[in-house]
Amino acid sequence: MSELVRLTDITKVYQGGVTGALNGVSLAIEEGEFTAIMGPSGSGKSTLLNLVAGLDRPSSGSVTVAGSDLGRLSETGLARFRRDRIGFVFQFFHLLPNLTALENVLIPARLKSRVSAESAGRALMSRLGIGEVADRYPSRLSGGQQQRVAVARALINQPTLLLADEPTGALDTKSGDQVMALFAELHQEGQTIVLVTHDPKLATRYAARVISMLDGRVIDDARLETTERKPADVIRVRSEEPSR
Amino acid sequence: MTAILVKALADLRRRRVQAAVIFLTVLLAMATGTMALTLMSQTRDPYQAAFEAQKGAHLQVEFKASTDPQLLATTPAIIGASAAGGPYPATSLQFKHGGQSFYVQTFGRDSAGGDVEVLNVTAGHWPRANDEIVLTRSFAELNNVSIGDTIKVVSVPAQSTLKVVGEVVDIDEGSADLSSQHAWVLKGAVPALTTPGLSTYLMDYRFPADPTSSQLQGYVDRLRASLPPGSITASINYLLIRSIFNITNQIITGVLSAFSVFALAATIAIMATLVTGIVISAFREIGIMKAVGFTPAGVIGVFALQVIIPALAACLIGIPAGTILSQPLLANSSHALGLPYMPSFSLGLDLLLLVGGLVVVSLAATLPALRAGLLKPITAITIATAPRGRSGGWLRRQAARLRLPQPIVLGIGDAFARPLRAALTLVTVLLGVATVVVAIGLPRSFQLINNSETGAGNYQVVINRSNALPDAEVMRILNAQPETARVVALDGENIAVPGISDPVNSRIFRGDSSKLAYMVIAGRWFSGPGEVLAPAGFLHDTHLKIGDTFTGSLDGQALQLRVVGEVYDISNLGHELFMDYATLPPNTPNSDPSTYWVTLRPGSDLNAYIQRVAGTQPDLLDVHPNNTSLIGPVKIIDSVLLVLAVVLFLIGVGGIFNTLLLNTRERIQDTATLKAVGMSPRQVIVMVAASAGLLALVAGLMAMPVGLYLHHLLNDVVSTSTGNDTPPSVYDVFNLFELMAIPLLGVAVAIVASLLPGRWAARTNVIEVLHAE
Repeated sequence: MSELVRLTDITKVYQGGVTGALNGVSLAIEEGEFTAIMGPSGSGKSTLLNLVAGLDRPSSGSVTVAGSDLGRLSETGLARFRRDRIGFVFQFFHLLPNLTALENVLIPARLKSRVSAESAGRALMSRLGIGEVADRYPSRLSGGQQQRVAVARALINQPTLLLADEPTGALDTKSGDQVMALFAELHQEGQTIVLVTHDPKLATRYAARVISMLDGRVIDDARLETTERKPADVIRVRSEEPSR
Repeated sequence: MTAILVKALADLRRRRVQAAVIFLTVLLAMATGTMALTLMSQTRDPYQAAFEAQKGAHLQVEFKASTDPQLLATTPAIIGASAAGGPYPATSLQFKHGGQSFYVQTFGRDSAGGDVEVLNVTAGHWPRANDEIVLTRSFAELNNVSIGDTIKVVSVPAQSTLKVVGEVVDIDEGSADLSSQHAWVLKGAVPALTTPGLSTYLMDYRFPADPTSSQLQGYVDRLRASLPPGSITASINYLLIRSIFNITNQIITGVLSAFSVFALAATIAIMATLVTGIVISAFREIGIMKAVGFTPAGVIGVFALQVIIPALAACLIGIPAGTILSQPLLANSSHALGLPYMPSFSLGLDLLLLVGGLVVVSLAATLPALRAGLLKPITAITIATAPRGRSGGWLRRQAARLRLPQPIVLGIGDAFARPLRAALTLVTVLLGVATVVVAIGLPRSFQLINNSETGAGNYQVVINRSNALPDAEVMRILNAQPETARVVALDGENIAVPGISDPVNSRIFRGDSSKLAYMVIAGRWFSGPGEVLAPAGFLHDTHLKIGDTFTGSLDGQALQLRVVGEVYDISNLGHELFMDYATLPPNTPNSDPSTYWVTLRPGSDLNAYIQRVAGTQPDLLDVHPNNTSLIGPVKIIDSVLLVLAVVLFLIGVGGIFNTLLLNTRERIQDTATLKAVGMSPRQVIVMVAASAGLLALVAGLMAMPVGLYLHHLLNDVVSTSTGNDTPPSVYDVFNLFELMAIPLLGVAVAIVASLLPGRWAARTNVIEVLHAE
């Protein structure tokens, strides 16, 4: 497998911040991996995800995704990068309320090209089990359905990298499981996924690699498909973190 | 109360841009409104003051020189006048000054005082010798004649000189750029200045109370019946003079008032939009305010005060500014009347405007704020923000079908996401664009009328002859010039017409006058003797219509006349007659034309022609290029319209800007999401601009018929106030390209106005916004 993401000595200090959100993080993610980034609130996991997504810039260090050094890209370049390479799934879905589910899904495709992607969008939605709600507005959908719409939106441009920030955080257990099953299915089809979660069970159940963070540092990096670590070990590491 | 004020002031600091929009729009609306009302309330005063101070004549009548002065002395008693002046001997005086010839009706009068028509000597002194003359200040200023200058009389064979010794203001005549002027010499000087057959007597009459129009007509009829036929050669009354004097201010105040209402309506729309928008975006804040103890009235107060405070500041500046801006026009009126300029305003009116403005603003702010007051705290805290508008879906889908770029599709949908906000914005922009249409169209209409009145493009040279030079000699000179293509000679006569008190000034043309291109509204140009055209004012007052015949009277002789057309002419408020020279009875005295309008052949050298013709009779011919420039009052009206258009347009831009600001702030989360999924900053700007462009386009398209209707209406108001119907060609001043270009220009300006909110939206920090959820 080839390397898809490389973070080199990343620090991120927010304006006014005394300590950094990220302190010298370096890691690489390979194509086809399903990586979970775990950690408590304030550990820097979402910041890390935002940097990989090109939503933010590091204070120092470099982020390279699919051969693109994000630090060298302009705002427009970063927007194109997000549009073409990244699929992002948010905790709170962030669907546009005045657009139908299908219109939400099609936004990235329509930003990219004027060629109609409607049939592709409907097919994708059917595949994700939300074909029948394509013409409904988000407010008429359940949380699970909304998150599936968000996933479909993330996938419509066939991104190189799918990023998900607490995608089950706003869902009930059943809906959360359905969304995670969907991620697993996508991973099996070869999709590279980086998942941010604070739930170790979720991380270990679906991800093949779990990176644990604390205070802006990577404190553990475990590949579960190997014999290197067992899932329980990762859980143990998580449980040994000092309470915050 | 303190808490409400503290919270409102804190919110104001946070919403500085909105506060600035309110301040500017209210400032412009209040300044315009104050100007209109100040002019309206103060315009009549200077004229009334001057008329009373100078004991203005309610009626002035000119009698033939052959009328017995003793008989004239009895006329005040005949009509019940309380005071009278005259008889003053009068003659038409032509003189040269600075290479130009001038005509003034000159009266012999030994003092400026008296019981009627006191002349206000504003500079110099009244004549003390027979070689001295005083002119009106208006004439002197217009033609650069100064006290001490010498003028050369050329209307009598014995060419004498007179020294200008004074300037007077005569309440009984209009300004020099609108009407002919008078001059005064001592009575003893008149015989030497008089051309045989061209002298008259003037009588001024004043009545105990201001007479009505019909009373004045009754007086003239009684005089006519009491004197030998043909004794009255002309008359004029104070109502006509007052109308002429006030007409500019009347039109300006009318236009200002109408557009002030527009400005106020647009401002109210902006404020209502703003408060609604603030309330929508501040649900959580409203809930918290209520949770910590703000009463519903307190919450309403906080939101209303955010509008009322900048509006109050705008009123406090706008009302004095409007008062000050109205002063030059009022000063102009005072100056024309010879009154010392005194700042003229009404403190009561200004206070009324302040209170009225604040009441309107308060209502516009409070009604939308009621929603905030009525919200249940827990609902407000829970849902944090009002449900986002979902309208505009149909538009968005249509745009998507057209395969427009996604940012444009989304922008188009956003434009009408909140229908009420969109409607209020449309009103604001519509009023701005409609005003622009009027401001473009009306000056063009005025230009067309001016061209018709001045013969622009139809004749290039105007020649006035001295009475000492025969008409035949002038024609011989003109016909001898190879460049002369056409000569239309003009004579003026006053014809008594049944139903009209004052003899009607008539233009008698000799030559092919049909080529002069006067605007014929109905019927046709005259083609033979006895046929006349008249403006609507004349036809209305005489109850005549095209095809009717009537009997006029000139110099005691009956004239059988038939109306063949309605013509546009602003002179004497529509009391004019146009006819051919052949209509005059052959023995009419002194009816030879004295003015010649010459059309040159293409390619002729105008200056060379003028110099050559003038050189043939330097003292007896006044030759000058045809002056086709707009008269002063029209220029003032055009300027006022331009200012109003700018004001309304700016308010319209403010409306668009305000709406976009609210939309972008309200949709900041959506924008952040769009950026997260790949919308570039430029695409965000395009999305906001598309929203602005669509609103402006719809408003612009709606504004065109409104603007055209207003243009139509204002033309009618102007025409009616000058005694005319509006010629159809005057309405038709826009071409198809312009009708399309004006809304598109509005779109372009709206897009420019959208750049700032667009840039703000484009700079949305995705992480901050989405993580603030």
